[in-house]
Amino acid sequence: MPIKSIKGCIGCEECIKSCPTDVIRLNPDSKKAEILYPEDCQICHLCRMYCPVDAITITPDKSIPVIVSWG
Amino acid sequence: MTTESKNMSRRKFITLAGAGAGFAAMAGFGMNLDWALNKPEIDTDALGINKISTDVLVVGSGMAGLFAAVKAHDAGANVMMVSKGRLGASGQTPFAKGIFAYDKDKEEISIDEFVAKVSRSALGTNNQAYTRQLAEHSLARVNELREWGFFESSLYNKSFSKPIEERNIPLQERVTITHLIKEDERVVGAAGFSIDEQKVLFYEAKSVILCTGAGGFKPNGFPICDLTHDGTIMAYDIGAKVTGKEWNDGHPSRGENPAACYDGWGDMFEQKPGTTGIEVRHDLGVDMNYMAYMNGGAAQMGPPGMGNQDNKVKGGPFTPEEFTKRDRGDGPPPGGENRKRPPRKEREDGPPGMGRGTVVGGSSAGMSIHKAEGLVPINDKCESTIKGLYAAGDALGSYMAGGIYTQIGSSLSGSAVQGAIAGETAANYSKNVKSHSISTSKLNSIEEEILAPLKREAGYSPAWVTQTLQSIMIPNFIIYIKKENLMRAALAYVEELRDHHVPHLRASNLHELRLAHETKNMVISAEMKLRASLMRKESRCSHYRLDYPEMDNENWQAWINIFRGKDGTMQLEKQPFDTVNQINSVRNKETV
Repeated sequence: MPIKSIKGCIGCEECIKSCPTDVIRLNPDSKKAEILYPEDCQICHLCRMYCPVDAITITPDKSIPVIVSWG
Repeated sequence: MTTESKNMSRRKFITLAGAGAGFAAMAGFGMNLDWALNKPEIDTDALGINKISTDVLVVGSGMAGLFAAVKAHDAGANVMMVSKGRLGASGQTPFAKGIFAYDKDKEEISIDEFVAKVSRSALGTNNQAYTRQLAEHSLARVNELREWGFFESSLYNKSFSKPIEERNIPLQERVTITHLIKEDERVVGAAGFSIDEQKVLFYEAKSVILCTGAGGFKPNGFPICDLTHDGTIMAYDIGAKVTGKEWNDGHPSRGENPAACYDGWGDMFEQKPGTTGIEVRHDLGVDMNYMAYMNGGAAQMGPPGMGNQDNKVKGGPFTPEEFTKRDRGDGPPPGGENRKRPPRKEREDGPPGMGRGTVVGGSSAGMSIHKAEGLVPINDKCESTIKGLYAAGDALGSYMAGGIYTQIGSSLSGSAVQGAIAGETAANYSKNVKSHSISTSKLNSIEEEILAPLKREAGYSPAWVTQTLQSIMIPNFIIYIKKENLMRAALAYVEELRDHHVPHLRASNLHELRLAHETKNMVISAEMKLRASLMRKESRCSHYRLDYPEMDNENWQAWINIFRGKDGTMQLEKQPFDTVNQINSVRNKETV
């Protein structure tokens, strides 16, 4: 996984706004950020750098889906 | 490609009537179509529609967009800024840490000498009017950035927000613009959708400035996965000429975890920005791809250059002798304040962003050279071939640097300089233009095109079409080490995606809708890249043909412009190098 977890989120939405590829969204119930589209993470760390409480963990690996003949 | 699809109008191309018919037929044979079925998460009928009017619409919120909005406002126009991402935090701007400033009191060479040196490195591919403009205006832009606090933080949102908020310039973020609107032979607005507000948005504008950056094929290892040539393709769709598609950015990535952009650049993304002074280079990158191709595998990086010096192979991309010295190390060039910057971590294996240890190619695949690809300018004022449409930064094919990287830090300052000029020019143009109400039929047809992937009952996922495109385009033997037969083969595949997959793209939500439009733009951009690369039967700067390895000055002192022909097909033409400079010099003489 590229962006791995968000722990201790305060719901400020900085990471949501700063993600260039729209990977993170605000959970309407918990009002906290959640990782919704991790496959589109480009591992640029902008979300982590904008997070004021250091809640985001990112790893350098990316599991690329296997190639299929249609999908 | 069938005759029917070849002559298809653009609207049909997107909204292809009965796009689900083929899938319905497959269901008739009893096939399980779960993989193809669209499972909409939103009700398209419930999406709101907003129409907004402004004088100047700035699309994009990176360095070019910032200055376009500020300068258009300061020239007296009502301005609105829309961004697919966030002000100062999307596109390539947030990752660029060096900004070139020509300070005549510090530099040893004149602007004339600077332009001449860039032109020698660029082998004539640069547009001297824009090279000169960069040097002349860069310090003023850098000084303004300093006032806004740009150099005080590694993150740019706060400093970018200062001048925008001070001027009360309306800003809409996370809005994907999909269409430019042209009526009466001029630009009259744009359209797109907001991910957060769940609305289709129409903008009526007297002029539009595209600050949409460049793009790639959502490659692994370079932070451009949000850049898909949106501005270029939107402009192409309404008849604009675009250029620069055959050139290649040659950045590699690390062999280990190649998708990790941040890790590939060390701690550079967390550095505060600094200025750079004159250091004209000839940074190919694509020479590494040649080395890997000839040696049959990944390349070993080693300081101080981009390739392992012991591993050199004969032939390959040409570097002028004046620029072959590799004694620069990985430090910043002299002249700027970066001299004082502390050393970066882990710098023993090679320059940041150029990989460490074993490297693999194609981290920025699909991207040309900064400022080389994009809309064709008709003068040195960032004006496109469509009335009322301007572009700046990486969305403008200004050839400020040429078909090769020539001046470190010029990517960022070039965007600032051009953004400012485009903003002022668009504002002045708008003063003499009346507001235009876009026709209802036009609004309806565009809304249909925007939402089409959401309404399809079945189709292909954007992720799969993108992945297929990547498999066709990114291999070294297609996009970097070019040859006729393989590019023709790749073009056949790309035409297949264009004609039989793009019209069937599906989207179940607004995230996927954005991906669907991005995918379509990437497919068209791939076609442009292949056709331009096939046409340029020579090697020069970052364009390398294995079957035409020499530079051909007799036939190829020319740029390639691409435009949509009357029958809807892609057309290509030559434009002699440095035409804009010649036009301007004639104009200046007339003025005198």
